Amino acid sequence: MNAKAEAQSISIEYDLPHAPAKVWRALTDPKLLATWLMDNDMRPLVGQSFTFKQQPTPWWDGIVRCKVLESDPHKRLRYSWQSGPASSPLDTMVTWTLTPTPSGGTRLTLEHSGFVPTNAAAFEGARQGWRRMVGKLIEVLARGEPMP
Amino acid sequence: MQREDAVFRALADPSRRAIFERLTRGEAPVKDLTASFDISQPAVSQHLAALRSAGLVAERREGRLVYYRVAPNGLRPLVDWIAHYQAFWIERIGRLQALLKEMDE
Repeated sequence: MNAKAEAQSISIEYDLPHAPAKVWRALTDPKLLATWLMDNDMRPLVGQSFTFKQQPTPWWDGIVRCKVLESDPHKRLRYSWQSGPASSPLDTMVTWTLTPTPSGGTRLTLEHSGFVPTNAAAFEGARQGWRRMVGKLIEVLARGEPMP
Repeated sequence: MQREDAVFRALADPSRRAIFERLTRGEAPVKDLTASFDISQPAVSQHLAALRSAGLVAERREGRLVYYRVAPNGLRPLVDWIAHYQAFWIERIGRLQALLKEMDE
């Protein structure tokens, strides 16, 4: 595992045969957004807070807290993406960029940024005792020894 | 992704999580686990089978006893947020594409 506290990101790019205005609607209309991402109360206005919610799992309460940081209709949407336990939160950012293509479609880019190595712990820390257990396991894995 | 789903499903059950956590502290035969959790031996065996099929525990036979331990790479699918979200977004954007096909212009 990388010990440096360097932020890392995910970047995914798609060429879609749909116009930017339509893609924008799918990204910002709460009902449409819920059909492919999660239930939400999104309003694409800068400064607006909203949440995504889905069924909790053993490792996650199912809630993502967001705030719109940038909203340029049909072009760019950026929001914070915070989740995980208070003791070790995942504090990241999601940016959608829509670029019109010559054929009338959209090049859609998703960037999910701001992951730092400590967030690995947050993933396991969602339940009491969980993180301690995994921390121990990671130690054992790091030593490369058979389990005790 | 499937591996990860299996791990989540296996650990969704509180008894299985407790058994798994106990095994991170050391190898144990079924009867020891039964004694420490106050659940029937068939129930413990069933939990162990679920953990095993998710790749979380491994077993070792010694005489008539079967010892269980944590599989070294069992939790690998969970330790990386980035890998998790990469799979998450690819799956969700697949759904987005399906939605766009259905939407009016």
